[in-house]
Amino acid sequence: MRNHYLEILLIGILIASIGILSIYSSTYQKETKPWQIIYKRQLLWVIFGIMLFPVFYNFNYRRLWDITYFLYALAIFLLCLVYILGIVRLGAQRWLKIVWFNFQPAELVKLIIIIFLARYFSLKSVDDISVKAVKFGISRGLILPFIFVSIPMGLIIEQPDLGSAIIIFFIFITMLYISGVKLKYIVIFLLIFVLSLPVFWQILRDYQKERILVFLNPNIDPLGAGYTVIQSKIAIGSGGLFGKGWLSGTQSQLRFLPESHTDFVFASFAEEWGLVGSMVLVFLYYLLIRQGIKIALKTQDHFGRLLALGISLMLCVQVFINIAMNLGLAPVVGLPLPLMSYGGSSVLITFISLGILANIGKTRTVF
Amino acid sequence: MRIRFINFTAIFIFVFLGLGLFNLGVIQGRRFKDLSNKNCIRLIPQMGTRGKIFDRNNNIIVDNSLSYDVMIMSGDEVRINKELDNVSDILGIDQKDLKDTYKTNFIAPFAPIAIAKNINIKKAITLEESKSDLELSGIIIQPQPQRRYPYARLACHLLGYLNEIDHWRLTKLADYGYEKKDIVGFGGIEEKYDYYLRQEQGGLSLEVDHRGRPMRLLGFKPPKSGEDIQLTLDLKLQRIVEDNMGSRKGSVIIMDPNSGEIMAMASSPNFNPSAFINKDADYIAGLLRNSDAPLINRSISSAYPAGSIFKLIVATAALDTGKINLSTSFYCPGSIHIGGQEFSCWDTHNQQNLKGAITHSCNVFFYRTGLLLGAQLIHDYALKFGLSKPAGIDLPYESGGFIPQPLWKRIYKFQNWYEGDTVNFAIGQGYLLVTPLQMVRMIAVFANNGSLVTPYIVKAIDGRDISIYQKKTARIPIKESTIGYIREALRNVVSDPNGTANILSSLPISIAGKTGTAQVSRGQPHGWFIGFFPFKNPKFAICVFIEHGGSGYFSCVLTKQIIEAMIKEGLI
Repeated sequence: MRNHYLEILLIGILIASIGILSIYSSTYQKETKPWQIIYKRQLLWVIFGIMLFPVFYNFNYRRLWDITYFLYALAIFLLCLVYILGIVRLGAQRWLKIVWFNFQPAELVKLIIIIFLARYFSLKSVDDISVKAVKFGISRGLILPFIFVSIPMGLIIEQPDLGSAIIIFFIFITMLYISGVKLKYIVIFLLIFVLSLPVFWQILRDYQKERILVFLNPNIDPLGAGYTVIQSKIAIGSGGLFGKGWLSGTQSQLRFLPESHTDFVFASFAEEWGLVGSMVLVFLYYLLIRQGIKIALKTQDHFGRLLALGISLMLCVQVFINIAMNLGLAPVVGLPLPLMSYGGSSVLITFISLGILANIGKTRTVF
Repeated sequence: MRIRFINFTAIFIFVFLGLGLFNLGVIQGRRFKDLSNKNCIRLIPQMGTRGKIFDRNNNIIVDNSLSYDVMIMSGDEVRINKELDNVSDILGIDQKDLKDTYKTNFIAPFAPIAIAKNINIKKAITLEESKSDLELSGIIIQPQPQRRYPYARLACHLLGYLNEIDHWRLTKLADYGYEKKDIVGFGGIEEKYDYYLRQEQGGLSLEVDHRGRPMRLLGFKPPKSGEDIQLTLDLKLQRIVEDNMGSRKGSVIIMDPNSGEIMAMASSPNFNPSAFINKDADYIAGLLRNSDAPLINRSISSAYPAGSIFKLIVATAALDTGKINLSTSFYCPGSIHIGGQEFSCWDTHNQQNLKGAITHSCNVFFYRTGLLLGAQLIHDYALKFGLSKPAGIDLPYESGGFIPQPLWKRIYKFQNWYEGDTVNFAIGQGYLLVTPLQMVRMIAVFANNGSLVTPYIVKAIDGRDISIYQKKTARIPIKESTIGYIREALRNVVSDPNGTANILSSLPISIAGKTGTAQVSRGQPHGWFIGFFPFKNPKFAICVFIEHGGSGYFSCVLTKQIIEAMIKEGLI
């Protein structure tokens, strides 16, 4: 029996360390004081996250089953709180101020929705050991969970935080898929979704529309919305094979690359470490996600399996969308790179998720 | 089953990201590297100073003064607009104008853009001082050396002027490292010696941040100044010449007859070369429109009929070939008939020998002598005196003039050469054309007893004496006695009471020379005087040419004024 605990924690710490190095580098040389403390803060969050990891590793995930509804209610409550008294930053109202820490509930909501859906789809009938979801009709298999998911999702879109909403949407689709809901329903759902896209287009904020248009052709607005993508591509491309070296990336250090310590931390990392470095990083993410899928494959408990898959897929989708948008292969939607990007909420929630994952890997032997 | 699909999807996603990275970093890597450098590297040119020009006594003729240009680093638009706003108050230029200049002068993202040129030093200092207060970190005040002409128009033809390189020069000079927008010499020393005078641009390469603010110095190439040039010109003499010429159209050249050093060379009308520096468009357009062609250096670039001064060549040829001797004389009744046409003399000289004919500039004598010699011989002797080709002075755009011969007329004009042509040729009229420089070179032969010098004007480059390379004197293949005899006759022109240049005999210095009045098809005849002085040991050869001056007499008058001034200034 292999212990996933150590592997997950080691990979997590490794990626987080790379993240701190990159944040240090991309905020380096920035003369003003507040910049200097950014990497220290991130270091603090990572240490805090590493401390939380064993806590959740030792916390039996089955107890999450019991408090699912409480968690769901908490998620809605937090989102409503953000709506009422959240902090407006960068034109969006996404943060809650808790003492001295700006908390971003959307990060937590992602995890809660995974727990919620995992529980919802792992209900078992009394007379049959197989999961009920396989036999779900359209209302219980699709409409009801969608209503549950769309309430927090709607609140998140309202913030507006398109990135998190998209992640939740992806989580929803993949959870439907892996829980065994009839493919027919998923296809119907996606069809309806695609057909209603023009309606969504109307709901989108102007800057979101612009971002999507710019994604399709970044050169329509090279100094506005397309600027970030162009600079990010330049950063990654100019890194070449071996990169410009730590603390020597001109794109991020001279601030051509905006958000170089948050959403575009990957680009500033790739600029300094080159193709070799970024391949290693991407491979580390793959190893992490593979751990999650392995755990899911070995777990006999349906709730545990769905939870493990959900967490792995959440990480996978976030990593993919973030790196793809750094590469200019996906629209810029404001999404952190798990463990790398600066941001306490994201770091903590990711370590908690990894802790839960490790716990699932441990607990399966109990059965 | 579905989980396995998920697993494959995850693998696929990571392979996709890997390929994306490979595409950007390796396949398109070079392009992005380039873009990244353009993002953050700015080049700030620094100009060296163009070489100065000195006269033979090391007095400055042309040097450089500093002017100040305001440049702005390209970069963030918000910053640029803010800085332009702030700068506009200090410079007193409208914001809109500044923004327009910024747009028109924009070359590339890595080059700073000039927004105001040639601002005065007070504004430059104010701007430099307020740089930190007003957050003008993207503003650069660049000292720009600018050509300065302390004597304004003095010797302008000889010096030339500076202007932005034109297409024709660029194609010619591109191999020597000249580039578009370079400032190069046009005409004169500035053009001929541009390669030496030319400064080399140095510069700073700076790393800037996303707003275009300089962060770090990456490299520095010191600018190189051009080499100074010393001329053979005598500033004092040049001023005397130009002051005395006044508004008369024409040319005056004073040359050392032994070495070929040009000591003064003036052409009139002239121009102010600083107009090209200040880009005074109206003035320049006026120069180009002016039918008197003030930009042309009449001393070397224009060819004129020689008139009577050409008689010296005919006399030399006749004496040297033995067609006439010293006692040969012809009768001058005032005019003669040749081929049914009447050729007149300007006076009735009766019996004239060679000496008398030169002294009185008798046409009839030279008609007869010319007929004895034949046009071909005159042509050949003219060539011995270096005519019909450029004298080889180290200035651009020298004209070669023209000496006709019978064969030429047959080939190009489809006409026979008549005796009338020979007669005209013998007194320096007809198809013949010479430049003032060629004439001063010709008279120098008699001054130095038979050597054809090559005139030159640059004595030293950057302290290296190059006159040894310039001095090219060749013994002319003519008997010394011939030269000597004509030399005596030239003295007679001045000293004889009836000599055409007798007006010069009142000067306390012995002068020899020859006058010429060249008939032109339209307008007053040109007036020539060529001569040398002091007679015994000549130090100066002079050519005074007045375009449409009326007659050689007026050139003599000007010569007299110049020599008087020279004596007064103690130059002789």
